[in-house]
Amino acid sequence: MTGSSHEFQDIEEATTALQSQPDNKTRRYDRQLRLWAASGQSALESSRILVISASATSSSVLKNLVLPGIGHFTILDHASVSHSDAGNNFFLEGFKSIGKSRAEEAVRLLSELNDGVEGKADTRTLESILDTQPEWFATFTLVITHNLEQTILEKLSSLLWSDDTYPPLAVIRSAGFLAEFFIQFHEHNIIESHSETSPSLRIDKPFPALLEHALSLDLSSMDPTEHGHIPYVTILVRALEDWKKKHDGNPPKSYAEKKEFKQGILALKVKYDEENFDEAEAQAYRCWSETKVPSEISALFSDPRLASLGPTSPPFFHLLAALRDFTLLPPYALPLSPTLPDMKSDTNNYIHLQRLYKTQAEEEKRVFKSLLTVPIEDSLVDSLVKNAHALQIMQGKKWGTFDSEKSALVNSLSVSPKETSTHLALSALFTLLSRQPDIPPTEEALRTEIQSVIGQGVELPEQLDDALGEIVRAPTAELPNVAAFLGGMVAQEVIKIITKQYVPANGYCVIDLIETWTGVIGN
Amino acid sequence: MAAAVVSTNGVATPSDWQDRYHHIDQILDRPGPRTDPSFLAGDEVKDFLRNSCKILVIGAGGLGCEILANLALSGFKDIHVIDMDTIDISNLNRQFLFRPADVGKAKAIVAAEFVMNRVPGVKVTPYYGKIQDKDDDYYVQFNLVICGLDSVEARRWINATLVNLVDPENPESLKPLIDGGTEGFKGQARVILPTVSSCYECSLDMLNKPTAFPICTIANTPRLPEHCIEWASVLEWPRVHADKKLDTDDPEHISWLYTIAAARAKEFKIEGVTWSLTQGVVKNVIPAIASTNAIIAASCCNEAFKIATSSAAYLNNYFMLIGTEGVYSYTFEHEKRDHCPVCGNESLEISINREWTVERLIEMLVEKQDIQIKKPSLSTPDKPIYFQSPPQLEEATRPNLEKKVADLVADGGEITVTATTLPFNLSLRITYT
Repeated sequence: MTGSSHEFQDIEEATTALQSQPDNKTRRYDRQLRLWAASGQSALESSRILVISASATSSSVLKNLVLPGIGHFTILDHASVSHSDAGNNFFLEGFKSIGKSRAEEAVRLLSELNDGVEGKADTRTLESILDTQPEWFATFTLVITHNLEQTILEKLSSLLWSDDTYPPLAVIRSAGFLAEFFIQFHEHNIIESHSETSPSLRIDKPFPALLEHALSLDLSSMDPTEHGHIPYVTILVRALEDWKKKHDGNPPKSYAEKKEFKQGILALKVKYDEENFDEAEAQAYRCWSETKVPSEISALFSDPRLASLGPTSPPFFHLLAALRDFTLLPPYALPLSPTLPDMKSDTNNYIHLQRLYKTQAEEEKRVFKSLLTVPIEDSLVDSLVKNAHALQIMQGKKWGTFDSEKSALVNSLSVSPKETSTHLALSALFTLLSRQPDIPPTEEALRTEIQSVIGQGVELPEQLDDALGEIVRAPTAELPNVAAFLGGMVAQEVIKIITKQYVPANGYCVIDLIETWTGVIGN
Repeated sequence: MAAAVVSTNGVATPSDWQDRYHHIDQILDRPGPRTDPSFLAGDEVKDFLRNSCKILVIGAGGLGCEILANLALSGFKDIHVIDMDTIDISNLNRQFLFRPADVGKAKAIVAAEFVMNRVPGVKVTPYYGKIQDKDDDYYVQFNLVICGLDSVEARRWINATLVNLVDPENPESLKPLIDGGTEGFKGQARVILPTVSSCYECSLDMLNKPTAFPICTIANTPRLPEHCIEWASVLEWPRVHADKKLDTDDPEHISWLYTIAAARAKEFKIEGVTWSLTQGVVKNVIPAIASTNAIIAASCCNEAFKIATSSAAYLNNYFMLIGTEGVYSYTFEHEKRDHCPVCGNESLEISINREWTVERLIEMLVEKQDIQIKKPSLSTPDKPIYFQSPPQLEEATRPNLEKKVADLVADGGEITVTATTLPFNLSLRITYT
């Protein structure tokens, strides 16, 4: 059979293949499978995550990745559990863990959360690995750091940026109630973005079978019950065709014409309570919103990699090239989506219309596939055709780039003063701690550092006082609630990156847990 | 054990070792720029948090597990938790205090034990039962209440209970309520100061309208797989099983519904009936993941910590997070609703057509998004209009359904609405158009 395992081709098969009760694993993951399905779950299960340090924050991130079932995690940490660690990390056994290896204790307790996940403690130092075994990092899907010392963080981020075979890097920083995180990635391509915008129904450019069906209806002599069940799509295709005949082939254009068109639809009612005609009137805008390739999608077609496509290019770019070629053919649109939204109708009318869409979508998928120059698995093709209107290519940045772009910082300060102030305050804190680890920074010292980063003449907003005051109050405090909050935020983004579903944040996500807000800057 | 132990009154105790609260104490030892002047930095605030503050957690599920762990690490030592549920295998992808061997046990009890074992010196007192089992004397003992619930009805109940508890003469009677909720990558956390700021009832119209399928579609003209599933559960189950109640937690029952729904789908050539969808529709399953629960629970506990210690300003008053497309959040002040039936002290003004029957008025009330009731009973201050139960009273008042409201209630007159799902009496002032 063609098509993916979950898309049935004929109605007999679609409605007779009974599933048995789900197995224990499916039951365990039920609530998340409803978000990212088996494909997302399988991506999670193949992932290998490296976490540098077993701080409360790092452990919280891992907890939220071990529970949904990543494949493997390694905690790299040579420290032993201190008194303060034992007080703020749920994945240490309080007093009993003091003095033991922090990595081993955290791995032991995190592993209890899910038998399906492999955990490993590595007690080497990051410096030694960076110096002697940099290729080791390429064995991971993603690397996470929390409050890592500035100099070594720069070294790590430069290494992982140096070649795109290295994994993305999530950098987390926190002090007291303030925090931020940034995910460094080269590029991130998304097919299943789970966009809330829906694809075109092509009412303005009906495919032949749809047009023929709409024109075949004899509205005036139809049985009244039947008349009340014509789906709005059919009504609109028919009304638009009738309108065009009287208007030189043009759809309604002016406000007055659109109003007249809508009134014409309501005038087709044979009974006042025909909700399908009310629905058609409400959806009438579809007749004058032209079906074409959305500008965000056509922008992807100018990607230089489409020009130099070869057998070793990633499948995503082969699919994109085929999509571009598809849109160069009539009707100059993206492949039709096989999914029809629900609408007022009865069984026969709705199912008939659904079949028309499915058949046409299958045909267009066949054309699309014929444009592919390399074999690509059917499930990926299906997914691309379904999500063609919402594909994304995200370009990432190296961690720290933002702080070296003075004009971008100054602009960000005026557009997002509190977010940028908090980011600058945290950056300055880690710069100062890196220079003099044992001296608590003063507001003056932080302010001087910030001024040197953004330029001496730049006026600092008053929101900076709020951020600096909190930094000075608690420069090394890792609060349990802030750690837990970050643990959730970063895990969400990591899941989106691993599954290539939904859209991750791009930039610095800055968090203030006094007023409780988040904001993304530097993108 | 090699670690140094602080001794209080001469006895070594592992529960408050030196530097245990190194991180939190940085916050509690000195104020920040956004700290209220009333903050008592140092020993006084630590003593209140660790020795006298009593906090109630409602729900020991996805949010509840996270909330209990966070509170314990934050230094709350007298925590109570209520939950009426037992552990199901589908909880294990996020409710991290539970293990496969705990399936079937009471959530509140297992969660309390786990937290007490993991965080020394913390007392967690579980109650395995319903929040409605407890009275005002119980709720008045707490300084704060945090809710991690998945039910609108339970939230309305605790909200109304805490609003009613407020005695203007006694500031201690005002119990801040912190409420969290999640769905997939989305969630919200809010702080409610009963009678002072917007309450849960004030924001009822922000809830999504529950999807309801017309019974005639289900019975005669199904289009969607959901229609076939509703047919199996709403019409076929009672017809075939008579008095046997449908248990949506029983996989055998779901399997039966699935088979029936699949057969109907085949008859009507409808695609997409699956086991998972069947379960999702009949149980109204909401997608839930550990990470979103972690964010929202942390936010709730952070507010509890700030309110209990006055160490920093707290959320005013609503935080909404949408994580599906980037990280988008919105923090805003939800305004009190003037005519809030719980905290507004004023009757709800309803203007209706003079010709309307009592039945029509009831229909309107059921559809109203800011009231959300199922089977309302109505009365005037001196006589019943229509009562849903008991059966004798229902029968006696049934003839009134056909009567015009205007014949029973004067213009500007009052109607009291009660319903089992409504944790208070709703007062309507009726005017006619």
